[in-house]
Amino acid sequence: MTPNAASAAPAPSRRSFLASSAVAAAAVAGGMPLLTACGGSDGGSREGTTAGKEAEKLLPAYVAGTVVTPDIPAKNGSAVGFTRKLDLAGLKTSVPEKLGKGGRVTIMSPFWGSPPKSDNAYYRAMNDLIGVDITWQNQDGNTYEQKLGAVLASSDVPDVVVVPSWNLNGRIPSAIISKFADLGPYLSGDAVKEYPNLAAVPTDAWQRSIFGGKLRGLPQPQPYVTGIVPLYRQDIFEKEGYEVPTSCDEFLALAKEATNAKAKRWACLDMKWTAFQAFGVMSGNEKPLGWTMVDGKMINRVETDEYLEALEWTRKLFAAGVVHPDAELGKSQATDAGPKFAKGEFLIYAQNISQWWSRTAEQATQNPEFKVWGMDVFGHDGGDPVLWAEQPAGIWAFVNKKASEAVIRDVLAAANVTAAPYGTKEYMMTNYGVEGTHYTVKDGVPTKTDQGNIDVMNAYVMLASPAATIAHPDFPEVAKGQVEWQQRMGAFTRKSSFHGMQITEPSRYANLSSDFEQMEDDFVRGRKKMGEVQQAISEWRSKGGDKLRDWYKKLLDENGSAAN
Amino acid sequence: MTAVIDEPARTPGRWAAPPRPAWEEKPGPAGVAGKGLALALACLAILFPLWIVVVTSLSSRRTIDEAGGLVMIPKDITFVAYQELLSGGQVTRAAVISIGVTLAGTAFSMTVSVLCAYGLSRTGSLGHRWVLMLLLATMFFSAGLIPTYLLVQSLGLTDTYLALILPSAVSVFNILVLRGFFMGISQELIDSARIDGAGDLRILWRIVMPLSRAVLAVITLFYAVGYWSAWFNASLYLNDQDMMPLQNVMIQLVQKQEAPVGLGQAIKTGELSGLAVQMAVMVMALLPVAVLSPFVQRHFKKGMLTGAVKG
Amino acid sequence: MSHSTVPRSRAEAETTEKPPAPPGKPGRPRARKPSLRLRWRRDRVLLLMTLPAVALLLLFNYLPILGNVVAFQDYDPYISDNGIVSILHSPWVGVENFERIFADSAFWNAVRNTLVLFFLQLLLFFPIPVLLALLINSVVRPRVRAVSQAILYLPHFFSWVLVIAVFQQLFGGAGILSQLLREHGYDGLDIMTDPSSFAFLITAQSVWKDAGWGIIVFLAALASVPPDLYEAAAMDGAGRWRRMWHVTLPALRPVIALLLVLRVGDALTVGFEQILLQRDAVGPGAAEVLDTFVWWNGVRNQDFGYAAAAGLVKGVVSIGLVLAANKVAHLMGEQGVYKK
Repeated sequence: MTPNAASAAPAPSRRSFLASSAVAAAAVAGGMPLLTACGGSDGGSREGTTAGKEAEKLLPAYVAGTVVTPDIPAKNGSAVGFTRKLDLAGLKTSVPEKLGKGGRVTIMSPFWGSPPKSDNAYYRAMNDLIGVDITWQNQDGNTYEQKLGAVLASSDVPDVVVVPSWNLNGRIPSAIISKFADLGPYLSGDAVKEYPNLAAVPTDAWQRSIFGGKLRGLPQPQPYVTGIVPLYRQDIFEKEGYEVPTSCDEFLALAKEATNAKAKRWACLDMKWTAFQAFGVMSGNEKPLGWTMVDGKMINRVETDEYLEALEWTRKLFAAGVVHPDAELGKSQATDAGPKFAKGEFLIYAQNISQWWSRTAEQATQNPEFKVWGMDVFGHDGGDPVLWAEQPAGIWAFVNKKASEAVIRDVLAAANVTAAPYGTKEYMMTNYGVEGTHYTVKDGVPTKTDQGNIDVMNAYVMLASPAATIAHPDFPEVAKGQVEWQQRMGAFTRKSSFHGMQITEPSRYANLSSDFEQMEDDFVRGRKKMGEVQQAISEWRSKGGDKLRDWYKKLLDENGSAAN
Repeated sequence: MTAVIDEPARTPGRWAAPPRPAWEEKPGPAGVAGKGLALALACLAILFPLWIVVVTSLSSRRTIDEAGGLVMIPKDITFVAYQELLSGGQVTRAAVISIGVTLAGTAFSMTVSVLCAYGLSRTGSLGHRWVLMLLLATMFFSAGLIPTYLLVQSLGLTDTYLALILPSAVSVFNILVLRGFFMGISQELIDSARIDGAGDLRILWRIVMPLSRAVLAVITLFYAVGYWSAWFNASLYLNDQDMMPLQNVMIQLVQKQEAPVGLGQAIKTGELSGLAVQMAVMVMALLPVAVLSPFVQRHFKKGMLTGAVKG
Repeated sequence: MSHSTVPRSRAEAETTEKPPAPPGKPGRPRARKPSLRLRWRRDRVLLLMTLPAVALLLLFNYLPILGNVVAFQDYDPYISDNGIVSILHSPWVGVENFERIFADSAFWNAVRNTLVLFFLQLLLFFPIPVLLALLINSVVRPRVRAVSQAILYLPHFFSWVLVIAVFQQLFGGAGILSQLLREHGYDGLDIMTDPSSFAFLITAQSVWKDAGWGIIVFLAALASVPPDLYEAAAMDGAGRWRRMWHVTLPALRPVIALLLVLRVGDALTVGFEQILLQRDAVGPGAAEVLDTFVWWNGVRNQDFGYAAAAGLVKGVVSIGLVLAANKVAHLMGEQGVYKK
């Protein structure tokens, strides 16, 4: 295998990888083998999960932060929103005294972009604020999976390793269990109160951080409301007099009306994710989320009629010629959708909610008419949609098993700073750097300087974060739109049986459903027939799907659901 | 007897044809036209896309958005993408590192490869088939990432530049090509030198290498390009970002746009478009060709050397 | 040397001086095998010269290749403190990994696609650098030669992502050509996403990107053709084409043979990155090749035993192919990679 090419695939599609289904999130994270007799030994089976009473003993106590009150409190699984201007003088202090004891800590973390010099003003200021001498080993984010796999196999693991959920493939979960420390003694129950900002991290994010029966991860919480929004060009909709569709039929009719290939305009990109939402198909982001109990029977998302109906409707869009031809290239499309969206070559696409803001920010100065907005997910028949909850944490920092207590305490001190909520001095420093050096504030809007754009990237934000927060001082109306969208969609969101749990499937099933995403794409683009999809589903059942069903059933019987 | 330099006489225009040898007939107009057309088409097929790349790298966001991506007709010229690349001092530092690694690595690889190729170039020599098989097998069997990483790590090479050179220092393909050319050299020349008492090193240095300048130039180029464009080893074996070579820095600059959800802290606002940065990186990747091409071509002149012994 | 016959190649030109060279063993005639001690004394310097390269290969290739024993394991590198020690602790599963590979119809589909692409590239790609090199070589104006060479090398330095982006811009469903067709009332093109012509698309992209770079070795070979051979041939009344046939091509033959043999050995490797990037565009039915198959099924899922097994299978087949190709080269009077 040529290692250089290894990184090629994800490169153009990192963003979509987060949201895409089976392939990206193929495998799942680790859990304590409660089911199997052999306990927490490193060599034993690492299948299963930890939930219910067992988990409660491990979870840190929740103590809501009182330092800052958000403008829009969290509701229905949304993020908290801040829409006010930034008031530098009014920033609060959430860490009154340095908790760091001046030790040295090395952290390996993925990095997207070009890392700054290892000795720079931002790192110095942060280390000073924390009271720990942190050295960052920033690794290329797109080849991180290989690097991680190799580093964990060596006996030289850094003090702290950051692992995103989309790298929890294959045997990485078992590596996490055998290589990283149990943070329970420092965080479980009331122990966390020593670190108030960590105590304010929502409990469901901690629940997701239990690997192998121990609390091992420092989480980055995220909203459990689906992150995929159908984004559309509101300005063009208004100009052409298009109405936002409220059913699948309306969408198709609008798409046909809006498409004019001769004038180089198509209605949308691949709308498969929106279709899954509209038809109420369970999440494909993580395998356990694809299972739930319906009328006493454990079923998988691919076995539902909704799954096939959603695919059939997506296929109709492709067949009708309303999908931009570049979208046919699939995830790995070599062309950037951004400029085509800006030009109006297509009007609607389904992507992560963060693009709502980033597209707005990109275009703001150059293209004042441009306006992107998120449309509400519609039920396929025009009624309310059924949405399925996503996992409430997505990136973790783990501490080396061999680390001394002093190192662990220093790491927690650092995490307590990086987890400070919006509106505190610690948050500003973590996310924007030093005022004057890395950012300037004008009319309550912070803007990064050139040095800020170089120094203040990734790094400290990877360590641990406050409760999911949306704050765009530059575009407060977008922040408001995003949080309100989450809250409206949150009202339609259900939790499947295994939501919120950290589950490790038996490794013999690791490859079982990794082909489905490709199958879906082949079908909607007309390369495969419905019969072939159905055949693949029945093959999946016989090759292990039915066994997996029993496994999940048993798991639920013994652990109960986390979502209670 | 050897190395007859047949430098064409200087003609007034450098685009003009040098005088032909007496025995060579003048090509017909159809031949010239056909050749010219074929060459022109091939070059055009390359220059047109190259034009798109260069123009896009010089375009502002507005132009790129109006074109919906790659730009063919320049509207405004801006160098923001190149400024973005060269700001921060990372690129210059990384370029120095890359040049150093490329020079040292190429010199090392060439030494090892030329020695090995010559050592294998005499048919019937003791054990040469075993060595050849040993070399050949490595072309088709590869080790996994983890064993290789563990090896480099246990040798203490992580976070050293040796990790960028040693594991990939030997290209069996290059050795085989070198060997193929060495074997084409007249055996009589070598034999007569041997009779004169020359040892193998001397034969290699005095006879084989001067007669193989073209292929030595080519293989040097192959190694140099290989070292220059390698990036995976650096991303694997280097933890210290201050040591990263140019390719890694370039790749990471392109990836700024690719950060996952919530980490996209480097959203480009204003004039600068991510696509322009990407294209600017591509243009800069072509620079070594511009530098190295004349160097190599010097050795491609027709009839520059003759290796045959006239009977 | 008599000029009555135009020499076929330099190697042969030399051997014709020594007629009794046995068939299949051109080059230095070996009367009788000298004793081992004599050969050792004669050749030890040569062996010594190969030592640095051999040592590097033993250390950085062979040593880690030993790790491929995990092909017979359900290997978990994280089971113990160190990935090497983990080999001792991982369960042995016999040939199960191999069975899994061979039992998978997707694997055989990938093999078929790989071979189709290989043959297509052999037919449509391989000759082009040779022809281009001949074309460049026949140009006498130095500036034209220099500039056109430099241009032809350029695409090699483009990344695959860019090559595909450019192809999409020109030939994609919303590309220039498609829009031109639409303006004239025709349908847009489908070549970037049409599984049936995917192999041709891949080949065309490869030609565009690497054919120019591929001429370098041939130019080096052409540069070492002695001009007196041409002159001699011309004296004998050989015209332009006959000189090319009898002087130029024979000079290229050993290089062509060597590269062909190596390419055949590498038949199971076709453009990994290029294909991985376009796999979604046409679906795995048309785009899955051996390397991408192993990538999806072994590497990405960290199924190390499976990936190692696939690598071993590929290596064994490749060695077989290269030896067979070498044999064919011998039969055709070329020496290929190594002489018999």
